[in-house]
Formats: sequence, structure tokens, C-alpha cells
Amino acid sequence: MKAYFRKNLVLWLTLLTLTFVFVTAARGMETEDWVITLLRGLSVGSLTFLVASGFSLIFGLLDVLNLAHGTLFMIGAYIGWTVYVRPDTFVDLLTPVTLVLSGFLLKDLWTALSTRGLLKGRMKHILPWAGILVSVLILFSVLRSYPIAIWKVGDYAKSPVSISYLASQGLNILPPPAEFDSFLPYLAFAGLIVGSLLLAFSLSLLGSGKQAAAPRVRWRSFAGFAALLLAGILFFVFNNALTDFLAGLNTNWLFMIAIVVAVTSGIGLGALMETTLIRPLYIRPIYQLMLTLGLSAIGIEMVRAVWGRPEFSMPRPELFAGTGDGCPAASLSGWWQNHCSTMFLFDGRIRVYNEILIPIIGVVVLVAVWMLLQRSRLGMVIRAGVQDREMVEALGINVRRVFTQVFALGVGLAALGGVLAAPSIGLSNLMGESFLLNALIALAIGGLTSYPGAALGSLLVGLLQQFIIKYGQIGIPIPFTDIIFKPTPPIVPASTILLMVIILLILPNGLLGKKE
Amino acid sequence: MEYLLDVQDIHTYIGQYHILQGVNLHVPKGSITALLGRNGAGKTTTLKSILGLTPPRQGKVIFEGLEIQGMRSFDIASRGIGYVPEHRAIFRDLSVEENLKIAERQKGDYALKAEMIFTLFPDLKRLITLSGANLSGGQQQMLAIARALIADNRLLLIDEPSEGLAPVLIEQLMEAIRKLSAESTVVLVEQNFVVATQLAEYYVIIEEGRSVKDGKMKDLVNDRETIHRYLGAA
Repeated sequence: MKAYFRKNLVLWLTLLTLTFVFVTAARGMETEDWVITLLRGLSVGSLTFLVASGFSLIFGLLDVLNLAHGTLFMIGAYIGWTVYVRPDTFVDLLTPVTLVLSGFLLKDLWTALSTRGLLKGRMKHILPWAGILVSVLILFSVLRSYPIAIWKVGDYAKSPVSISYLASQGLNILPPPAEFDSFLPYLAFAGLIVGSLLLAFSLSLLGSGKQAAAPRVRWRSFAGFAALLLAGILFFVFNNALTDFLAGLNTNWLFMIAIVVAVTSGIGLGALMETTLIRPLYIRPIYQLMLTLGLSAIGIEMVRAVWGRPEFSMPRPELFAGTGDGCPAASLSGWWQNHCSTMFLFDGRIRVYNEILIPIIGVVVLVAVWMLLQRSRLGMVIRAGVQDREMVEALGINVRRVFTQVFALGVGLAALGGVLAAPSIGLSNLMGESFLLNALIALAIGGLTSYPGAALGSLLVGLLQQFIIKYGQIGIPIPFTDIIFKPTPPIVPASTILLMVIILLILPNGLLGKKE
Repeated sequence: MEYLLDVQDIHTYIGQYHILQGVNLHVPKGSITALLGRNGAGKTTTLKSILGLTPPRQGKVIFEGLEIQGMRSFDIASRGIGYVPEHRAIFRDLSVEENLKIAERQKGDYALKAEMIFTLFPDLKRLITLSGANLSGGQQQMLAIARALIADNRLLLIDEPSEGLAPVLIEQLMEAIRKLSAESTVVLVEQNFVVATQLAEYYVIIEEGRSVKDGKMKDLVNDRETIHRYLGAA
């Protein structure tokens, strides 16, 4: 025990100093002020943590600095918004998405076929690419005229800004459903299925030759394929019923569905990104860095093209939106009765969604991922892989698959952060970048590949920012003078960077980082 | 004779360097074969090439009648090859128990083999909750071998087991390797010539990336000229 403290003396002194600084800062305020500031700090810290933890897991195991992580956070927010505010668009998208994915479930069959050596000589290189080109053309031409009820970015009255405003007033009226006009639905389905099969097969041909033995084709993959086809058709047949059901649903439930869809999309997007773009570049780390930077820019532009540039809000679910009688609530039970958006805590007025729910979810995710890392086999493999990937592979574990899972998990966490942040801070094209910067600073403070470090760093960044913002309002009296110093807004980001610099000077690996 | 592992003229490159320039290795089932040679001769690379960690560009690696060269490492290993690397590569952040459990290929492997492992290395039972970082060199070496025994491995590739260990520990370790060779075939890289001669039945000498001489260990012991020429021992 004694040896432990001696070894970590600098760390404990730093932590004590930080605690002392925050306690002093809190004592300089009224109770209500510091409680609010603390809760806001926890809220910002939680959102930062959702970005930082995924980023750190990915960096720790895969050695990939995923600079697109902030953009994926933002995409999570926009997907969540779409499900929540425009369920009709979401339902319209289900059929094409399931049909396009269906072909990939026959992976076993494609691998078995492509390892047969059907193609010889130059055809081996030409045909897969030709297949990819043709399938992409088919999919593109079908999807172009596939009917999807969507907002109009150029038309202000029908833009996300207006739709969000109306929705927050309880006036969310969905437009009439989109119909097939130019071509038959069956033709469209056939096109999507053929395109998907061809694309999956061509991609598998491209990757073949590296496997020595063909895998067995299991019936499970055919069952999966059939199930996805059936789901796609059912989504089409019951499109209107499903849309009406979602639109009529209580917003609390709809918000939960939005979270699930955003996280699932994040996981899918992460898996797709790792397998197709990141994987070929493991031997070229610099290219990987450039790639993620480029993807981040592409992601932002795509979001701009689909949802437009202006910022807009996302209405809070009903449980956190009440403003009528009995609001602000005096206690948690009062909030539960009247579903108030705000409540009093120690005489301070706090927003329930931002300052109570988000920190709670942050802690739940912290514990859940910690349990995953410590208790599950996947977690064990991740912890071992962070140290020595080669040895894990030599034990007979498919590390590449674990890489994909971890990347998907990390992006899923970012998407969760995005969709949770949307009702609190609104949606904007650049919301991800500021959180990514916060997360990077938090990781530098806490230790780049340390999971508890990500949590501690995020907490410190959140608290510091919120305390500086609050002191910007009430001012800091400088001792022995009459001067009251009010930190201006530019000091907020500067303060976290200053904290990072100080901590890195004292502990070069961050607070909880391991020595290299 | 039927070989469990048959390595035929493999050539391996690391970056632009042509490290293995034709290594042949014929390992009979149930034997201990020692790879001998000077530092940097290519012994470790040979083990890594068998396992696909540094995949050979030419030549064949046949394990239990199946060509495994070109497969991915995890695929090769899961066909029944255990690896105990140089410097042990114990997972520092995992407990001793986790270090063993991670090697499971089927659920329940650990429960099945735990008793056998603890009879072989009684020390490990006592250390089961300790993290890998807190083990001594000898304990780490035992854990590394134990880890390779968890799954159903017919072939064990052991790299420099006696390196950096006290003589008492080396004795203990040799005893353990002798015992486990009753069930698995072992390919051993060993700098300590005395250890190698006492353990192994067959030897292969590797010199500058080529296998230059092989045969029975008992013949080598009396072959002063070969020992002097390739191993530099007196």
C-alpha cells in the first residue's frame, strides 16, 4: 500500500490540487450556482466522455486516430432527429436499406464461390471491378427515383428548421406519403436485390485468394438473407401503418427508438468503415490519418447536402418538456408528475434533461462498458490486444474481427452521444468538431488509451469549462484589490488547453495513462 | 516416415530483407526437435513463419497433411498449434487466470485443463489472481507455456524457454517440457546447448537463414566438428 502511494505520489498530489481548486471555485459561489455548474459540468463531461471513450478504445486497440469520430457523433444526432421528427422518412428508408444489405448476408456462399478459382488470369482483376461498377450503377439508378418522403433543404417552410420548430410546438404534420410514379415497385425491388447480390459477390471476389480453404456454407446465412428480404417487403407493404404508428407514438418511446436506430446505424457505419476503408491501411498509419480527416470533411458535406447548413433544434421528449402547471417542479416527484422541463434543486433552476438525464446515462454507459471490458471475453481480448496484438492472434483469435467490433462499438458510442446531445444543444454541422476537440483534450489529460482516464479527463474538461463560464457571469474578485475579473468566452476553450499543458508537463502520459 | 509438421524450403522476407533462404524441417509426431544456431540465424523467424506471423513467400508448410502457408495466423493456430514466444509475451494487464482463459478455443477448455496445468506448474495456482505484470521471469515463462497448453494443441512452438532464468528454474522447466512432450510434439528454439541436448531427440541447425544440418541429437553430441563449426561451442 505504502509502495503504491509512493509510486503514484505525483498523481495523487495532482488530483488533490485539482480537487482543491474546484472546491475553492465552488466555495466562491452561492450554493445554487455551484450545484448548477457542477451538474452542467457533469452533463458536458458525459457527452465528451461518449466521444472520448470510443476514440480511446479504437486508438488503444487499433492504433487508429479516428479524426472522423466527431463527424460520426454529429451523424448520430442527425439520424436520431430524422427518426424522431420525421418517422415517415425513416420508414420509407427501411425497405431500400434492408434490401441493399440482404446480399451481404450470403457472405459464406460468396466466399465459397470466390475461393473456387472460377476466374483466371487478368479476368481475376477486371471482373470484380466491373461487377462493382455495374452493381453501383444499378443501385444508384434505382435509389435515385425511389420514393422517399423527405424535407426540402431549399424551401424554408419545408426545411428541417421549420419542421423542428413546428414539432416543438406540437404541430408536427407529416406530408402525404411518397408514391412510386415512374416505375413499378417490383422492378425497383428486383433492381435493389440484384444490385446487392452483385455488389456483395464482386467485393468478395476482390478479397479472395488470401484464404486457403473455403468455409462451409451454412443454412443460417440463407435464412438471414430470406429474413431480410421478407422484412424489406413487409416494411413496404405496411409502410403507411408503420408510419402512422410511429407518428402517433408517445415522444418518450419515439425518442428511445431514435436512440436505438442512431446507435445501430453508428455501429453499422463503424463496421462498414473499418472493413472497407481503414483495414487496407493498417500498414500505412499516415494514410489512415489522412483518410479519417477526409472522411470527416466528406461526412460534414453530406450532412449539409441532406439536412442543410442552418442549425436547428430537436424537441425534447414529452417527459422533459412540460412547462405548464406545477413547473418548474420543486422535487423529482413533482417533475415525474408534471413532466417539467426544469426543476429546482437547492434553489437553483436546472434543466432535467440536460443536467439530470445526460449525466445519468453517462454514468450508466461508463459502468456498462467497464463491465464489458472487465467481465466479458471480448473485453479480455481487447485488453490483451491493446498490449500485444500478435500474441492474441497467435492464440488462435481472429483479431481482425475484434478490430471491427471495437471500431463499431466506438462509433456506436459516439452516435449515442450525438443523439443524446441533440435535444440539449441542437443540431449543427460542426457540433461534432467541438466535441472531438474536447474529447482529444480530455484524453490527453486522462491518458490516451486508458478507459478510466477518458472518464476522468472528460469530467475535468466539462467541469472546468462550466466553472469558467459561470465565473464569466459572476466574476472573480482578485484578492487585495477592488478588481473583479470576468473570464470572457474565448477563455473557456483556452482554459482546458491550459489544464492539458500543465498536466502533461507534470505527468507526460496523462493522469492515468501508462508509461510507454 | 510420417511427419506432424513438414516445412519445405521456405523463404521469408521481413521488409526488404531476405531472412529465411530455404529452411527445411521435418518433425515426427511425438518428438522434441531443437532448432540450433547462432544469434540472428533465423530460428525465431522460422517459428514465426510456421505460424504465419511472418508469412513465407515461397515454400510449403504442411501440418497434419494440410498446407497451411498463406493462411492467417489465427487460422493456423486454431488448427492446433501453440506458441510460446521469446520474452514470453504475457498480457500484463490480465490476471494469471485471464491469461490462461484467453487461450480457450472452446468454452470449458480452461476448466478441463486447469488441473493438469497446476500439477505441471504448482506455483501458478497460488498466483492465480495476480496480474501478469507482477510475475517474476520464471513465473512468466511457466504461464506462457501453460497458456499454450489450454487449447487442444498437437504442436508446441517454444522459443528460448531458458532465457534469463536461474539454473534451478531451468531444471524445473525442462522437467515440465519433457512431461508435456508425451502428449504434444515440440519444436524448441534453444540457445543453451546443454538444455537442448538434454531435451531434444532431433536437431536442425540453421545458419544464415538456411537449414544446414539435421539429424538425431545423440549423434550431434559426439560430432565435435559440427558443433564447433555452426554453434561455436567448444
